[in-house]
Amino acid sequence: MNVKRFSFWVTFGTLIFFYLPILMLVITSFNESRFGGVWRGFSLKWYHQLFSEETLWKALTNSLMIGIGATLVSSILGTLAALSLHRYRSMLQKAHYGLIYTPLVVPDVLMGISLLLFFVTIHLRLGLFTIFIAHTTFCLSYVTFVVLARLQTLDHALIEAAEDLGASYWQIFWRIKLPQLFPAILSGALLAFTLSIDDFVITFFVAGPGSTTLPIYIYSLMKFGSTPIINALSTVLIVATFAIVWIVQTITREQK
Amino acid sequence: MRTKIEEVGLTFPSALWLIVFFLIPTSVIIFYAFKPGDLYGGIGEGWTLSNILNLFNPRHLAILWRTVWFSLLTTGICLLVALPTGFFLAQISLKNRRILLLLIVVPFWTSFLIRVFAWKSLLHPEGFLKKALVALHFVHEDTLLLYNAGAVLLVMVYTYLPFAILPLFTAAEKFNFNLFEAAMDLGATRSRAFYKVFIPSIKPGILTAFLMVFIPAMGAYVIPDIVGGVNNEVLGNKIAQRTFVDRDLPEASALSLSLALAVLLPMMVIFCLQATGSDKKKSKKASNS
Amino acid sequence: MSDSLEFDNVIKGFGTVKALNEVSFSIKKGEFFSLLGPSGCGKTTLLRLVAGFEKLDSGRILLDGQDITNLPANQRPINTVFQSYALFPHLNVWDNIAFGLRIAKHSKAYIKKEVEAMLALIQMEEHAYKKPDYISGGQKQRVAIARALVNRPRVLLLDEPLAALDLKLRQRMLLELDLIHDEVGITFLYVTHDQNEAMAVSDRIAILNRGKLEQIGRPIDLYEAPKSSFVAAFIGDTNFLDGWVAEQKLKEYSLLSIENFPKVLCFNDKQLSVGDPVHMSIRPEKIHISRERPADRPLINSMPGIVEDIIYQGDHTKFGVRVDGHRMTVFQQHSRFLLDESPITWNDKVWLWWHPDDGFILERYQMMKENDVENSFEKSEQEQSELGKI
Repeated sequence: MNVKRFSFWVTFGTLIFFYLPILMLVITSFNESRFGGVWRGFSLKWYHQLFSEETLWKALTNSLMIGIGATLVSSILGTLAALSLHRYRSMLQKAHYGLIYTPLVVPDVLMGISLLLFFVTIHLRLGLFTIFIAHTTFCLSYVTFVVLARLQTLDHALIEAAEDLGASYWQIFWRIKLPQLFPAILSGALLAFTLSIDDFVITFFVAGPGSTTLPIYIYSLMKFGSTPIINALSTVLIVATFAIVWIVQTITREQK
Repeated sequence: MRTKIEEVGLTFPSALWLIVFFLIPTSVIIFYAFKPGDLYGGIGEGWTLSNILNLFNPRHLAILWRTVWFSLLTTGICLLVALPTGFFLAQISLKNRRILLLLIVVPFWTSFLIRVFAWKSLLHPEGFLKKALVALHFVHEDTLLLYNAGAVLLVMVYTYLPFAILPLFTAAEKFNFNLFEAAMDLGATRSRAFYKVFIPSIKPGILTAFLMVFIPAMGAYVIPDIVGGVNNEVLGNKIAQRTFVDRDLPEASALSLSLALAVLLPMMVIFCLQATGSDKKKSKKASNS
Repeated sequence: MSDSLEFDNVIKGFGTVKALNEVSFSIKKGEFFSLLGPSGCGKTTLLRLVAGFEKLDSGRILLDGQDITNLPANQRPINTVFQSYALFPHLNVWDNIAFGLRIAKHSKAYIKKEVEAMLALIQMEEHAYKKPDYISGGQKQRVAIARALVNRPRVLLLDEPLAALDLKLRQRMLLELDLIHDEVGITFLYVTHDQNEAMAVSDRIAILNRGKLEQIGRPIDLYEAPKSSFVAAFIGDTNFLDGWVAEQKLKEYSLLSIENFPKVLCFNDKQLSVGDPVHMSIRPEKIHISRERPADRPLINSMPGIVEDIIYQGDHTKFGVRVDGHRMTVFQQHSRFLLDESPITWNDKVWLWWHPDDGFILERYQMMKENDVENSFEKSEQEQSELGKI
């Protein structure tokens, strides 16, 4: 079989592979029966049960609060880091780069347990605050790389042109650099937010009793709780995700 | 002098944060690995090598081996699937490419846990898939699709495949497909050209894809926990178990160290491979005339 | 006219390479001055030094008599038109042009007046609110010029501004630049590697080669009286002949003895004596070509040859004619209807002749390095020309 044909079928198969479980989940969430194997009719009862769960709303709120907080702080720190990595080329920056790069390649488990031990050692009570710190820490690197990539494609001639027209360093920063960087910073922030909302392993390690985030709630449902609600919850989240992506796509397409 | 102060000032915020909340905690692990645990789940007095030595006992080595083996298998399968996919994506028109890329990436914007759960549902003994396979006589009524190595592998591949597809696609996109035609013009068959021309030139992409799958796979915890059986424990599980169930923080630290090392070694190998292959960036001259 | 810009022994190196080596010259106020030379000659470096984007190693740069060597770029009353235009993509045309004025904190009324005047000058009033992505290359270029000029700089720097445009547009924009210069009246410092461009619009040209100033003068001076073989070869085509002075004939004319070539009479303005080595150059358009032998006259160089090469260009033909051991390049303008005549063709026996006044003796003869010659033939419009065998 020739290469092109083969690669087409592999891609096609991969796409089916990706969407199959999701599809199953959505369908099952409307299933009257508790078990996915038997279809007993269309029902919204799992959704009703879902929306009356107190803990769900608390977890969602926590996740959002932490998400927004971590996104804000990591966006600022990450942008500053990208600016300094781009502008300077010293030994300090080499070390700085290593410091930013390493969290990206460290597995979640390691990061989780190291932060847990750290918090225990300094006697910081585990709770929403520790989760916030953990999230900011791993989001920072992502924001830095997104912004740094944009900085590297920034036309240097623009900076020179602004200088030529009389602008000082700060004026260049506010009038030229920042507006050019803004979409990248926004991308980075969006990425950070997504990572924060979705994080489980690290959060699991550093969360205290009573501080639940959405993923932790989902996990506890999976391990100990009622299965059909998860289907409903999953479907809601999937639909929400698709909706957000679609909205973002339409907005960016309009801007073009 | 002034610019040095500016540089330090700009670097300071992010560096400080990471030193306090990343570097120091990492060192704390090393510290803890050498301390004994006490009866109440805390840290004992003094120092000990027992946790480190424990790393060499057969049970642990077995788990380490299983972790590495799972990760290698996952990475291998991911690469095998991602290569043709990346190749295909790079060949089709730009408009279709964007749509397809979006289609590939969007499922991964949904929660990771939910996706793992979706598989757990799908592979459930009472589930639809099992029933369908039994009806088609592919599997026996008694076989379990869940709670075994196969399930773990399947879900790991499912989770990490996009991390392999994206770098391979990026590398394939940069590939000049005219080279393909040039090779065929010189007498190579299509598949020969694929192996001899395409694959070598996207080698950096392959290395990146390897890293991007292997390292997270080594740290897998949730997937074996949810869809794996008791015999499918990997390092991640053991670390979590020691931390939350056994409350043996020093041993958890030692285990973490072994995981860190197991991850560091392939990383360094790949870095060396990448460094020898890549072009050195020319020093930037301000102008050339 | 006083000096607008003065370069005093400017030296600038990058690593071990000296991009500029003791360059000294000055530019008069209001001049359209070009820096011309092959790639790597240092012209862009010099421009960037004037703009303030590079620091020189030693020497001085003076603007209207004031030393600006150590003045930072954003404080110099000089503006640049970049090769890539460098228009700010997130600002529209109006805001791009207004940028420098806003930085200088002029009043809103002043800014409005000036920007609108500029828009009128470059004929972009309708496009004032478009962003750079939505205007053409030629329009971007005009906006770049306006953005620089609106600040009323004392010198306008232009870094190969036409390089990115196609041929017809380039020709049009060049004329527009010339018109703008006439209207605005400030000093233009123009960098290019295209000699036709430079000659068309410049008041004076400085030719740079490997960081050194080869010659500076009006286009006509450079073309008709180049001082060195580099300049002679870089601008236009030419034939080189080497030999020594054999005899002094008449007061100003010397008879030159050239190997494998008939003896040649040449106007001797360099006071060479018999026995001195000499390098001579004769431009192809100054040589006449015909099948008939020209009448004998005291002041004429004539010689027979065989046509080896013909490149027909419509308004003229370029011939490669073998004379003894040399290959001469000759241009023949077709001033009559060519189809009525029987044009000279390959292997024809022809006669070449020229007046001794029309050749020139070079002061400096440099060994042609391949790069020097090749780089002057970069542009596709310039045909590859083979110089007389050296």
